[in-house]
Amino acid sequence: MSTLALQNVTYKYEGSSKNIFKDVNMDFEKGKVYTIVGKSGAGKSTLLNLLAGLDTATEGSVTYENENLAEMNRNRYRAKNAGIIFQGLNLLTNATAIDNIVLSMNISGVSERNKKAKTYSLLEKVGISKEKATRKILKLSGGEQQRVAIARALAHDPELIVADEPTGNLDKQTEDSILKIFSSLAHDEGKCVIIVTHSKKVTNIADEMWGLDKGVFRQMTKDKK
Amino acid sequence: MYIISNAIKNLFRNKGRNILIAAVTLAIIISAVVTLTINNASSVIIDEARLDIASRVDISIDLFTHGRDGRQTITVEQYVSFADSAYLRHTVFQAEMQAWFGNFFAVGDFEMGLTPPPDPNMPHSPVGKLTGHSEPSHISGFGTYRHFVEGRMFESINEAIITEELANLNSLQLGDIIHIESAFQHGKHFELEIVGIFSHEVDEVEAFQSIVWEMMGFSLPSMISQNEIFTSFETLMSVGWETADGLDMRLEYYLRNPNDLVRFEAEVRAKGLPDVFGVTINQAALDRVTGPLEGMRSAAMTFTIVILILGAIVLVLVSYLAIRERKYEVGVLRAMGMERGKIACGIFSEAIMITALCLIIGLGAGSAIAQPMADRLLAGEVETQAEAVMGAEEGGRVLMSGGQVQTDDPASGYRPISDIEVAIGMDVIIQIIFIALALAAVSSVIGIIRITQYEPLKILRERA
Ligand SMILES: Nc1ncnc2c1ncn2[C@@H]1O[C@H](COP(=O)(O)OP(=O)(O)OP(=O)(O)O)[C@@H](O)[C@H]1O
Ligand SMILES: [Mg+2]
Repeated sequence: MSTLALQNVTYKYEGSSKNIFKDVNMDFEKGKVYTIVGKSGAGKSTLLNLLAGLDTATEGSVTYENENLAEMNRNRYRAKNAGIIFQGLNLLTNATAIDNIVLSMNISGVSERNKKAKTYSLLEKVGISKEKATRKILKLSGGEQQRVAIARALAHDPELIVADEPTGNLDKQTEDSILKIFSSLAHDEGKCVIIVTHSKKVTNIADEMWGLDKGVFRQMTKDKK
Repeated sequence: MYIISNAIKNLFRNKGRNILIAAVTLAIIISAVVTLTINNASSVIIDEARLDIASRVDISIDLFTHGRDGRQTITVEQYVSFADSAYLRHTVFQAEMQAWFGNFFAVGDFEMGLTPPPDPNMPHSPVGKLTGHSEPSHISGFGTYRHFVEGRMFESINEAIITEELANLNSLQLGDIIHIESAFQHGKHFELEIVGIFSHEVDEVEAFQSIVWEMMGFSLPSMISQNEIFTSFETLMSVGWETADGLDMRLEYYLRNPNDLVRFEAEVRAKGLPDVFGVTINQAALDRVTGPLEGMRSAAMTFTIVILILGAIVLVLVSYLAIRERKYEVGVLRAMGMERGKIACGIFSEAIMITALCLIIGLGAGSAIAQPMADRLLAGEVETQAEAVMGAEEGGRVLMSGGQVQTDDPASGYRPISDIEVAIGMDVIIQIIFIALALAAVSSVIGIIRITQYEPLKILRERA
């Protein structure tokens, strides 16, 4: 049973004549990790924007639980159903890590009583100490910022996690621990995890690997890569 | 609500920008508080002065343009009938009769007294005045330059009070009956009982005048204030007057509302008041009394309008720059699924909080400087006016009338209001709150409208 599906999706940026991709059909299921690889400029982030409900397909439809995202309240979808880790992180840079995450939880309507406590434990999971948690984002390293963004995406316990290069700035060891989290989210908690990556390591935890080239998605086998 | 707590945090996250907005807002609020406080306090005083001066209507002929003759064209009854009007709250009835004394001498009269002219139909020479008042409390001088030596104020009909000099000259006592006649109209007699004797201090000006007139051979007993006898208006009217000949009708009509002057005039014209009579208020006096206040008020107003306009421009500019700064923030919030309305609410809350803070400080600071500011402004205006008045008085004309020197400056004797007590009141606070809300709107609405129109992705892309 697919939770997220693309049906004959064609996408073209406004004012541009070139399709980024055409007639794409894809299914994403719960309990699995998907990785998407492709050259720079191939259109990976563009796809994730569609999946995250930040953009709508030029033709065709993206459905979540059989509902067309184009017709849904996409604010609600982003706030409740999807956890998004942007390539550009999109953190509030002059607010603290804690504030970023608590605010996100509030926007999502998380009913948790003690949001700060939950945030601290989440940040600890991704390796951010309490001291760093109360620093402004600007005063954290790139890798630390990336982990705050990951924690924020997970804070409202979404069914779907969409991540754009989430481990790009991390050392091997930290990358491992983050990947463990992603893997566990899919395999233990039954979430759908979609990761855009260039990293070989990430593909190791994938259940399905897709390559994007010249507007066409092709499933790849693990051993082949 | 998290929107509010986030708004509070935002205030501190963007200190520089918010301090700038707060400074401008504060300047606007303080100047608005000062002006409104001054404006409201002066309005109250100006209204009081208007009620005091401009509600008093005189119906008379302009002596300078028409002379005294025109008076005869309206009757005493008409004067009295004008008082019967719905526009009036009150009328003070006063009239002066040129009098001839029957059984006693006038002060300063050694030739004609007690000698009626051979033809009783010819007018006598007046030797004094009989003044009738409906309100004894309106007789000038009691409590200041006139004091009772004996007896009391007149109360019932045919009671009168006389000066100490007149009493001494004729050995008159309380309870004596004096005989007075109209000098101009034959057969108008009064038999009045003396119920009070008062002293009359002649001030320097009056003393000097009488010396001058004496030297000019002008000294008539009727012009000497010691020969003025007071009685009630009722008594004066009791003999029945067909014409006002030899009578100086000085009725003061008090309007309920100074704005009814035109309607009241229409009414008395309909009752037959000829055109040579003016129905006027003492506008010159009103202007003199309230001029500096009006000046101060308009100075304060101009100042505030300038501040409001400049402030609004700066606020719009600052918030326009702030929008560019905040665009990314809004993009992030929208990407996380926050609705436009809530974001707008957050931005507006920030503006409200800044404004509320400025409001509190501004009300305090504004009310502290309103009084010294008002004092300085008013002092300046009073000085300016005094110079103007001095110039005008030098060129004024002088007229002698009824034993008194009158300048043609109807405002002479009126002093401008030179003190004002300003205090911030509930009305000002409410007005300021509205201004503050408008400021909060100005500094946030433009931004809110622009910012929330964008799709989140577009904002985030612009930054990348
Ligand atoms: N707003 C836009 N308008 C027009 N073209 C765009 C816009 N944004 C991206 N593109 C183009 O669309 C293509 C896909 O961009 P996208 O960001 O999806 O690439 P990507 O696969 O994520 O690359 P990378 O690995 O470098 O992040 C690129 O050629 C890019 O230049
Ligand atoms: Mg990308």
